[in-house]
Amino acid sequence: MSGKVKNFKELEGCVVIYTDNYLNDIEGVKLEDECDVFLNRGKKKIVIDFANTELVNSIGISILVGIMEKVKKRNGILFFSSLKKVNHDIFNMLGLTKHISIFQTEEEAIGKMLAHE
Amino acid sequence: MNDVTYGLERLLFNLDTLAELGEELTSPKDFNKIVKSSLYMIMGNFSAFKGAIFQFDHGKKTAKPIASKGIGDINDCVIKLEEETIKELVALKTPIDISSNKKATSFLGVGKTGLEKIKVRILAPLVVREDLLGLIAIGEKFSGEVYSKDDFRLLSVIAHHIAVSLHNQSLLRKLMGKYDENKKLYENLICIYYDTIHAFATAIDAKDAYTKGHSHRVSAYCAAIANEMKWSQDETEGIRIAGLLHDIGKIAIDKSIINKDRPLTNNEFVELNSHPVIGYEILSKVKFPWTGIPKMVRNHHERVDGRGYPDSLGSNEISLGSKIMTVADSFDAMTTDRPYRPSLTPDEVIMELKKNYNKQFDRDVLHNFFSIIRKEIVGENKPAIMPFLSSSFADELKTKVLNRTINLFSFEK
Repeated sequence: MSGKVKNFKELEGCVVIYTDNYLNDIEGVKLEDECDVFLNRGKKKIVIDFANTELVNSIGISILVGIMEKVKKRNGILFFSSLKKVNHDIFNMLGLTKHISIFQTEEEAIGKMLAHE
Repeated sequence: MNDVTYGLERLLFNLDTLAELGEELTSPKDFNKIVKSSLYMIMGNFSAFKGAIFQFDHGKKTAKPIASKGIGDINDCVIKLEEETIKELVALKTPIDISSNKKATSFLGVGKTGLEKIKVRILAPLVVREDLLGLIAIGEKFSGEVYSKDDFRLLSVIAHHIAVSLHNQSLLRKLMGKYDENKKLYENLICIYYDTIHAFATAIDAKDAYTKGHSHRVSAYCAAIANEMKWSQDETEGIRIAGLLHDIGKIAIDKSIINKDRPLTNNEFVELNSHPVIGYEILSKVKFPWTGIPKMVRNHHERVDGRGYPDSLGSNEISLGSKIMTVADSFDAMTTDRPYRPSLTPDEVIMELKKNYNKQFDRDVLHNFFSIIRKEIVGENKPAIMPFLSSSFADELKTKVLNRTINLFSFEK
């Protein structure tokens, strides 16, 4: 990720984090740090929305795997939304799609997240 | 995704990772950041959630983590490697699965405990020219899939790239160590060099009780004028040194002549006036890092009207350095007590300098010299000349310049 985490939205039951254009360098650890902050505050339902993200490379994958592992350890729920096809294909190829729920839109992910017990 | 498409996608992703790794390893970033990025690339490529890169210390025979992810703080996780283990790792060449390879487990010896602690699954030795530089240790894949043959081959290529980078970094560190060592030596030598020159200057001035500190003052005045005339730092340093040594030829002159408080005989004059040539001969044998020092010393008693000594040179034949030194030397002679007379007053000094304008002294040099005095008095210049003058002389000069009783630049009219 070339810049910082662009934005986030705190809802009643979950948090939506919006990623930047690229998730492809070590600066992307800020996304992981951002998730840590929410997890440490007891927010266990997180949606990461990739609508703005054009490219995720191996560094980005590593950061996302780190987040997935941390949420799993805290018995939290993590959804991804708005993935570009190219990024979805990479997740699929690496076998990650079997371990994470991916939604077409942010709204859909939030809806499922809030309905989740 | 069918098998062919999957294979192609995977190949392209691996190629991307390799290309990015190459770019990262050759980037001018901080080395720790490079290693961290490299580890993230490896882990992302295999979707592993634990991993670390260790650097091997040949002296201590330990591998210490230089980057890690998903393991928490592992700074204390220093892996001890026995001699046999090191040999085996060097011989391995390729990564090993330490959880299933019994042979690997046995040769790792005590090191295995440290690796198990951080749940390492795959270990890739970082080797360049039969030299173990470190280890890449990665854990299970997040997907739970096993590492394929292709994964091992890719990790082997990645490990080789990282090993070369570690090797280069180690060479660079050694080089920087040598550079620092040489820099210290050089700085010590410079100190010795300056101390020696200062000792010479003190020895020259010690011959004459009246000229104590003369060489140091002339040196400071020369540097101040050179600086005012926009000489480079290096050239200014050269004339500063020349100023310290300008009277070195007096070492060979009889002390009784230098300290005589009565008029000198012709023979005594000849002997005293030989000091610039003797100084030139002494200094010509010294290899200075600055040019022109022996010549400046030889010609510091030359005059622009051609009536100086030892060579009666015309203005065009006298170097600017010598012309500067002439003003500096004469000013100090006039402003200090001598065996045959006390120090001149500020009026007398300025008048004497002006009287000899374009005779003994060069026009530009004198103009710049007066300019420094003025600037120091009005606070435009950092004091370089005034601190060397007696306080009574300096106060009188300052007062008279400020109330215009002394006009420094009137000779130009």
